[in-house]
Amino acid sequence: MSKFNAFQRKTFWVGSLVVLLMVVLAGCSGSKNDSAQNTGTNQSANQGTDTSKNTEPPATGGTFTYGRPASVTSFDLHNQITANNAFAIDKVFEPLVAFDSEGKIVDWLAKSHTISTDGLTYTFVLRDGLKFSNGTEVTAEDAVFSIQRHLTVGGPLAIAAQVASLKAEDAKTLVITLKEPYTPFISELTNFSNGILPNKFGGVTEEEFFKNPIGTGPFVVEKWDPAGDLTFSKNPNYWQEGKPYIDKLVYKLIEDDSQAINQLKAGEVDGIETLALGNANEVKQGPDTTVATNGSWVTEQLFFNTLDKHFSDIHVRRALALALDRDGLTKALTFGYAQVANSLLPPAIPYNTNDTIKALNHDEAAAKAELAKSKFPDGFTTKLLVASGNSTRAQEAQIIQAAAKTIGINIEIESVELASFRERFFAYDFSAMLNSGQADSPEANSILAFQTDPNGFSKSYWTHYTNDEVTKLLIEGQKTLDGAERGDIYAKLQQILADEVPYIPLYYPDIITGVRSSVEGLVVLPNGSLRFEDVRIKK
Amino acid sequence: MIKSNSLFKKIADNDSPRRWLVLALIRAAAVITCVVAAVFFLIRIVPGDPAKMILGEHSTPEAIQALHHSLGLDLPLWEQFTRFVQNLFTHGDTGASIAWGTSTRELIAERAPVTLLLIVMASVLAILVALVLATLAATNKDRLLDHLIRIFPTITLGMPVFWVGLLLILFFSVRLGWFPVGGVGEGVAGTLYSLTLPAITVAFSQIPTLVRSLRAQMLEVLESDFVVTLKAAGIPNRVILTKHVLRNSALPTLMLLGVNISYLIGGTLVVEQVFGIKGIGSLLFSAISKRDFPVIQGIALYCAISVVIISLLIEISSWLLDPRTKGKQ
Repeated sequence: MSKFNAFQRKTFWVGSLVVLLMVVLAGCSGSKNDSAQNTGTNQSANQGTDTSKNTEPPATGGTFTYGRPASVTSFDLHNQITANNAFAIDKVFEPLVAFDSEGKIVDWLAKSHTISTDGLTYTFVLRDGLKFSNGTEVTAEDAVFSIQRHLTVGGPLAIAAQVASLKAEDAKTLVITLKEPYTPFISELTNFSNGILPNKFGGVTEEEFFKNPIGTGPFVVEKWDPAGDLTFSKNPNYWQEGKPYIDKLVYKLIEDDSQAINQLKAGEVDGIETLALGNANEVKQGPDTTVATNGSWVTEQLFFNTLDKHFSDIHVRRALALALDRDGLTKALTFGYAQVANSLLPPAIPYNTNDTIKALNHDEAAAKAELAKSKFPDGFTTKLLVASGNSTRAQEAQIIQAAAKTIGINIEIESVELASFRERFFAYDFSAMLNSGQADSPEANSILAFQTDPNGFSKSYWTHYTNDEVTKLLIEGQKTLDGAERGDIYAKLQQILADEVPYIPLYYPDIITGVRSSVEGLVVLPNGSLRFEDVRIKK
Repeated sequence: MIKSNSLFKKIADNDSPRRWLVLALIRAAAVITCVVAAVFFLIRIVPGDPAKMILGEHSTPEAIQALHHSLGLDLPLWEQFTRFVQNLFTHGDTGASIAWGTSTRELIAERAPVTLLLIVMASVLAILVALVLATLAATNKDRLLDHLIRIFPTITLGMPVFWVGLLLILFFSVRLGWFPVGGVGEGVAGTLYSLTLPAITVAFSQIPTLVRSLRAQMLEVLESDFVVTLKAAGIPNRVILTKHVLRNSALPTLMLLGVNISYLIGGTLVVEQVFGIKGIGSLLFSAISKRDFPVIQGIALYCAISVVIISLLIEISSWLLDPRTKGKQ
């Protein structure tokens, strides 16, 4: 046996050596390949700097690769809403007016706009020499066609204003008249869904057009896999002279969060769209990585079903708000990338009253006193619905659970997968849930209409909260022109919400994007989109 | 296979390969039909609506209804099923993806090669490593090396695949920069290179069971009378080991490998997710979370067909290894 073994060992040591050699060989050929790939990207980056004749900054050219958790499935701007499509559509189609990183409305394809004093007539004058990416001139007729299609289609971001007429007064002037004043209109026009496309889709069918979309945006679709990556190239006819600085923009599908962070660290991507709060500081402090942030239009909230046995009682809702330390919750969960919420409207939205509102702040004694006034003075047991897969929300639920316990409310956390979660709250099949409300444009009405209108399809964000005074104020706010009077209306409305608590605003999370340190000039918009036309890649 | 299948056995015993093939195909068709039908109804019982996943929180009832209508989801379940079956036979497809709009067949055809390549790479790696380790362990029974090799599977079996994958990424890709962090490279060399770490990760989960099974079988054969006889006849050890021992102990391990590979056809989901590989597993994951019914059905069908094919191949290769098993499987 021993002889057998001795021989055995020899052959198998040889065998394992061969295996090892193979692995090493694979590694070597691999690294060769890798360096080839690297030189590939270097070359394309250098080409850019070469054209600028080696004058150091500003660098131009190169490819920006952006890791995103979901692929782009459609460019049909009037039928889409989710971020995966919205943030690709807004690279190709641009609206007449836009918002900047502060959320301020600025002229974009229009060089000027005027609103009549009665709030009924909107006049836009297009920029001179404005062209689509295929070189054809943009006219007011194109704008009429685009907005008309949006009105016809409706879609998830339907134009809420009552449009009486849409008219191209001359080649460059567009006049829109409304049946009744609707102040949020101008801000709703900044939405990606009000981008301008060529009249009659430039002569092709609708289906063909959205497969090869043509707009005025800084980028043109070059290669697109609806279930995978998307490559944009720069629009040679872009109206902002010299921009975009980069030659190509690649949206790379990376579904897994930690995979995205690792690709960022290794330099395989230049930026990643989603970065969990818990990972933000790790990326910020990394040697080659940093974060680009901005305040958002999002309010994280605890929602109550006001049809629920317990939460229909206003004292119960108030008691829970008083029992909750929002300050502590925000500090514990958001690592400095959020602001504590007092009002429903985030600070990045006009007419927010976050600094002046009287919110129900943490006060355990007051909470107990408030619960004593309710129909359930001895407490009760209820459930909190949470979508799984979001660690921040899971911790949020636990903090709320602990806070409720201090006043005798026993909360069971029910964590379900996203598709089931939606199914549940759309059917009002919940007592309380964690979710966030988001504005689509820099406009108070955007959040308020969705969260306070009991007649809207969202039924006050599925809380079924109904208050005639609130509904009246909401409609008044829509008709009052911008100014102090409108501010008063919204201040009053937000205060009622803070007193009656159909939902508890918890915090306003920042937008956090992970980027390589070599990236310059990235503009983070408050809706989470990025302006890539301003980006430069330093080499 | 099953005792009551005496008819099957009788026909198989007649040893006509054509008959065997016919029976195998009938069995395969039955399995595939059951899987497809079961999946069709199961995914519709699970809560969740593809329309609401597309429209998000802005799903007005009108928009949901319009989308349901265009997707045919407003029809009675039975009619949906007959349409599905019709489509399957006329177009050879389970329909257009709800989330991505493209044909399910194309989506799968695009992604299957990467996953299959990953499985082949991982299996080859696992077989090589298992052969070496099992032989070393069996020929050094109860010595230190044997103990070390036997501890190895116990440890690796306890390590979750995603964790092993993350460790490999952190060390070899982020720290050393030897391999790409994720995704699939271009060209044949690029693809093989980018799949190296994922394949090692998958192999890691396969090796322990293979080593155990092979080692136990080899020990049994090594101690059997015919090996003693061979040794006594002065046959060289190398010949005994490669020609007789390995061949006689490979059969159960081959069966095990078959089961493992069948599992991997749809089970590379976690590894694909961790390494950002756009294969069948990650497609299945997104399709399920988006309730993309046609794609889920398509993948189920694809997996059922693949598993049936693999079990046939394993059966055939076991005949080649040991003709005595012919018709007995």
